[in-house]
Amino acid sequence: MAETVVAVNGVTKRFAGHTAVRDLTLSVPKGGIFGLLGPNGAGKSTTIRMIMNIILPDEGTIALFGSAVGGRALSERIGFLPEERGLYKKMKVVDQLIFLAETKGLSRSVARVKAIQWLKQLELDDWTNRKVEDLSKGMQQKVQFISTLLHEPELVILDEPFSGLDPVNSQVMREVVVEVARSGRTVLFSTHIMEQAEQMCDRIAIIAHGAKVVDGALADIKREFGGRHVAITFTRNGDAARPILSDPTLVQRIDDRGATAELELAPGANPDVLLRALVNSDVGLSRFEVAEASLQSIFIAKVGAEGARATAVTGEN
Amino acid sequence: MLKKTIAVIRREFVERVRTKAFIIGTVLGPIFFGAMAIIPGLLLSRGSVGQRVVVVDGTANEFGRRIEEVLQAAKSGSGPNAKPVYSPLRLAAGARVQDVIDSLVPMTGLSKKDPAAVDGLLIVDEGSVTTGKLRYYGKNVGSMEDMRQLRSSLTPLMIAERLRSVGVDPAVAMRAAAPIDLDTRKIADGKLTAESGMSTFVLAYAMGVILYMALVLYGTQVMTSVIEEKSNRIVEVLVSSLTPFQMMLGKVIGVGLVSLLQLGIWAGAFLFLQQNQAKILGMFGAAGGEGGVASILPSMDPWLIVVFLGFFVLGFLFYSSAYAAIGSMCNTVQEAQQLQTPVMVMTLTGWFSAFALLRDPTSSFAKVASLIPPLAPFVVPVRYSIARIPLPELLLYVATMIGGLLVIVWFTARIYRVGILMYGKRASFKDIFRWIRAS
Repeated sequence: MAETVVAVNGVTKRFAGHTAVRDLTLSVPKGGIFGLLGPNGAGKSTTIRMIMNIILPDEGTIALFGSAVGGRALSERIGFLPEERGLYKKMKVVDQLIFLAETKGLSRSVARVKAIQWLKQLELDDWTNRKVEDLSKGMQQKVQFISTLLHEPELVILDEPFSGLDPVNSQVMREVVVEVARSGRTVLFSTHIMEQAEQMCDRIAIIAHGAKVVDGALADIKREFGGRHVAITFTRNGDAARPILSDPTLVQRIDDRGATAELELAPGANPDVLLRALVNSDVGLSRFEVAEASLQSIFIAKVGAEGARATAVTGEN
Repeated sequence: MLKKTIAVIRREFVERVRTKAFIIGTVLGPIFFGAMAIIPGLLLSRGSVGQRVVVVDGTANEFGRRIEEVLQAAKSGSGPNAKPVYSPLRLAAGARVQDVIDSLVPMTGLSKKDPAAVDGLLIVDEGSVTTGKLRYYGKNVGSMEDMRQLRSSLTPLMIAERLRSVGVDPAVAMRAAAPIDLDTRKIADGKLTAESGMSTFVLAYAMGVILYMALVLYGTQVMTSVIEEKSNRIVEVLVSSLTPFQMMLGKVIGVGLVSLLQLGIWAGAFLFLQQNQAKILGMFGAAGGEGGVASILPSMDPWLIVVFLGFFVLGFLFYSSAYAAIGSMCNTVQEAQQLQTPVMVMTLTGWFSAFALLRDPTSSFAKVASLIPPLAPFVVPVRYSIARIPLPELLLYVATMIGGLLVIVWFTARIYRVGILMYGKRASFKDIFRWIRAS
């Protein structure tokens, strides 16, 4: 068993009126990318803020690198990107990065060299001496991203890191995150977008209503979820497929997304029968794949669309 | 730990000093002091000179001629800069006073450049000496300074004339009637200073104004910058690597250093102006030196500067930590406006106390006010500027001030710690009480 970098043990946090996190236990091993998944309001940000020692848990303990002194004392080793992005608007980009690195314990001269390196790497070098307020939202996000990684932390905690980014920037950031994990450091990030987690994470934990639903290695979770799954992509006449897909002798459960659908076959059902039925009713198909369950469908199955919505209304995460 | 606090201080200081607001404020300060030094000087000697006054003499005796002589002699200012106020011309009108007036009135409307132009008519007739009545018709009757000048030029002559008419030698009477010249000089620390009573008052007043403005202005800056960090959400990033106390301390000290830099620049400009006051006044054409415009900028001795800056720093730490706590409780500047009322009341009380004791700086009221930490930053320097406070007493005030400072920092740091991470509704006083109790 690898060294545990983040150990959350039986943690509960209550806010006036509701419980944001309930008896949560997580263990993030060293190295790799750990995804903290959950619908809006599930308690992801609250959990991360407790890990960062910004707020204190009402019950339970949190240890980082095997020590309970708290995230602030270990801030040299941790990079944190909060859900609510924020920079000093009037500061120059490079000064901003130097200052934030200083608060992590870096010296000014080292911070300056690294800041300039990073700005070059993310193609922001033309903006080095501009004020933050002159930058576009996407560029500001990049700057904040740099500030999280500048001091080469062993543990990187990112709260919804890719939200609000265009596909190009999102891809750039993802590559950076993957690179960090490849260099043996640990990434913990939260998201409610399952595709992202599926593509990047080695391990995940799904939480809903502030409580853990499932956690472990992604491959294990998929295997455990089991079942025979079929992923379909329609090109035309998708409506004609709906009566077939709602046949309970063929399909046990379906996640219908319009142009695509993912379904779990009923026990004993033959995928060939399903494919033949679809072709016979003149449904255009570009994909018909018997596969493992996607994270999305596992998530829906475990959390339930209903439950996700309920927490999102009352929740403040 | 200390390194991080220094990083916060540096950021606050550098970012603030770079702003246009700081540069403009720093430049405007000395201009304001300069204006304070120069404008009163200019105002005091601003009566017009070279007025063409026609003395319409309706008397048969020498009175009209003497008036002309007096006007001729009247000078504005003193020393080599002095200029004659009037260029008088006497017309013996005899019984045809009214005709002469009628013919001169149109000429007072002519432009200054016209050699025939007249600024005013002074009409003297037989009854003038006994009734004290003189008529002056002119363009400048609205100028208080010109009229005062005219009246004061003529009054001694009128008195002399009346005395002469009852057979008293005017010269004797004038000597007897000479006014008392009360030269006030302040004694401080058993030494005679060059300060007059007036400049002591001006100094005390100016210090009160500067203290009040600086404490409120810079305190509010601390408050708005806390709110800004909250609304930017940068506070989340900061608090993950800095303790709230480091953040608050760094901010307060950073802004404090900015204020000291600005006050320092102002003090330097003040000293420069004070030492070169006469020269500068001369440059503007106003009379300076003895008998002219007295020292308007008062002198400040080094100890007073120490007391002033010392209490400014203590008061700044006191008020800005209160402002920081208020900022942490609010999400917008508008919300803060209401919450800062108690602090406003404290600063205003301090300011009024300082002026209340100008009349009697050694009263027991002054002594009690000096012991109350929110008031002391205003009261003690103002008191000290009027009458030196003995060292043991001064140390007592410093001690109570520091005590009060520690108490308020203890309270405000607790509020700040919780407040900066609270979003949504503004904290109620009940919440704040809970935050203070939570350890």
